[in-house]
Amino acid sequence: MMSEPKSLHPAPIRLVLVDDHRMFRSGVKAELDESMVIVGEAPDVDSAIVVVAETRPDVVLLDVHLPGGNGNGGSDVISGSHGVTTESGEPVRFLALSVSDAAEDVIAVIRAGARGYVTKTINGNDLTDAIRRVADGDAVFSPRLAGFVLDAFGAAAGEVALVDEELDRLSTREREVMRLIARGYQYKEVAKELFISIKTVETHVSSVLRKLQLSSRHELTAWAVGRHLL
Amino acid sequence: MDLVPTPYELPKSPIDPGRGRAVYRLERPVQGRYVGGVCAGLAEHLGVNVRHVRLAFLLACFAGGAGVAAYLILWALTPQSLGGAPVPRPRPMDEGQPANEPLRNLVVGVGLLLVGGGLFAQLHGVNLRLGVLIPLVTVAGGAVLAWSQLDDAERGRWLVGGSEGRRAGLLRLVIGIALALIGVVVLATQGRGLAGLWDVGIPAVAVLAGAALIAAPWGVRLWNDLRAEQAQRIRETERADIAAHLHDSVLQTLALIQRKAADPAEVTRLARAQERELRGWLYAGPRGSRSSLASAVTEVAHEVEDVHGIPIELVVTGDRPLDAGGTALVRALREALLNAVCHGSVPVSAYVEVGSDLVEAFVRDHGPGFDMSAVPADRLGVRESILGRMSRQGGSAAVRRLERGTEVSLSLPLTTAESQPVAQPDTEGTQ
Repeated sequence: MMSEPKSLHPAPIRLVLVDDHRMFRSGVKAELDESMVIVGEAPDVDSAIVVVAETRPDVVLLDVHLPGGNGNGGSDVISGSHGVTTESGEPVRFLALSVSDAAEDVIAVIRAGARGYVTKTINGNDLTDAIRRVADGDAVFSPRLAGFVLDAFGAAAGEVALVDEELDRLSTREREVMRLIARGYQYKEVAKELFISIKTVETHVSSVLRKLQLSSRHELTAWAVGRHLL
Repeated sequence: MDLVPTPYELPKSPIDPGRGRAVYRLERPVQGRYVGGVCAGLAEHLGVNVRHVRLAFLLACFAGGAGVAAYLILWALTPQSLGGAPVPRPRPMDEGQPANEPLRNLVVGVGLLLVGGGLFAQLHGVNLRLGVLIPLVTVAGGAVLAWSQLDDAERGRWLVGGSEGRRAGLLRLVIGIALALIGVVVLATQGRGLAGLWDVGIPAVAVLAGAALIAAPWGVRLWNDLRAEQAQRIRETERADIAAHLHDSVLQTLALIQRKAADPAEVTRLARAQERELRGWLYAGPRGSRSSLASAVTEVAHEVEDVHGIPIELVVTGDRPLDAGGTALVRALREALLNAVCHGSVPVSAYVEVGSDLVEAFVRDHGPGFDMSAVPADRLGVRESILGRMSRQGGSAAVRRLERGTEVSLSLPLTTAESQPVAQPDTEGTQ
């Protein structure tokens, strides 16, 4: 759903696939183009942590539900790989991938540190764009995740942060960006609609991701558990 | 999310009840019994009235305790019919008497105590070696009561059963142990009074304590085994449930897909519908009442998806009760979705935001878009019906052409008069 792949990465993006379904891993492999190279694969939490530490990839494509570890699936891989960097010193980035609609799972993996969330029904092009975006340090939001954010931060009910630094509410601009993403707009279209640059859109999304990860807004968890919507 | 209940999904016992067979084999039924179920089982087996069997046993008890011995032997040798199995033939005593086991147990226990006490009083007058017999009978009675807790199926019921079953079991155990203790004490102190009780009592307690110490690890292990077995059984039940559901839904759909492999649209539709059903089953809890705006929107989107086999990425935030305005919005949304899936191209997104004073809905497709002046009359009519519906409810609708695709936006202001509390008890997230 993201467009305009940027060429910040002239070298192929080094990728690790973590998913307990071999069929899904080979499906993803078949869909990726030559701008990405898969340097490792893992079917469970423990081997994923080892593979990530060994290969130091740019991006880890991470299934939310994984066997092993402490039973928290993808979140365990992220916390177990804390501090691992790529050769160029960038932190290893995680893109969560899930068939699950359970909000608490997705929110858990985002709050553990994943840079984005996409569903497994995503097509090859969109997945490539999402991986590239995450590799560049940006955030990737699906319409569902945007809808969840709007709901959890009370933005749908008209709550708006007075200062941008406020962690428990979205700013007016962030809310607008989230609304457009929930409506199915791509970043480029969001930028055009709001008369801002794509980079600014990415900044807003990253800032929302930060709030999602750091906010102690109790509705976030309560909502996630109670609603099963995402 | 609309799970059609099937026969497979009805909660069923993991153990086959084994009907029919129970009529002929000698088994001790769980239901309709007073002590160990021997009389009931025997009556069942022989086809005799259970009262007659019970009377015979009672009479035999007075013939030197033969009845008790026979009862004990039968009790030990007869398997209990499997837990929770439906009784094949209604027993006469069940009629008009609801299964009130705790009460029944209490009556039986107290009755036994009274009989024991009465006979004990007779001890001074009559001397037919009752001094030995009665304590023995008491011990045996207590043992039967206490040990019946450890019957195969019984112990299972005792472990999992609700507090009521547990209390009944405890009551039986306590009464049984009390009876056994009284019997043992009377037997041991054979006319020596309370002073003798001390002489016998202290060594006895010491021996018992030693035995308990030795038996404790074994007891703990037995207990753990029981728990493990119980957990295993629960897991098996769950597994059976899941298997039944998968069989009914996923396997059927897969079979259908194989048969319709030549029709991609149909295959997509089947896969999508199945995916949604499975998701609903796995993740959706109770999602508010059917009459909420969010659930109505979801239902409509699923319906359109099903009819046309095109996935719709639907996002709904907030919720409120469904009123006239909401119904109009849902109908207009349906038209817009139909338009998008028929004339636009994928992906189709729908976003509905229920705010405190405004409901907004957006339907977006990625088709080439259409020229408003070139639309055929019938489609213009559809558009009119969208617009008309919304404006009649005081709302508005607009069609926008984007660079790629078309977006229909609907908005419905909530007037204070008709706006009901947004925070209805079972929906959250709007504040």
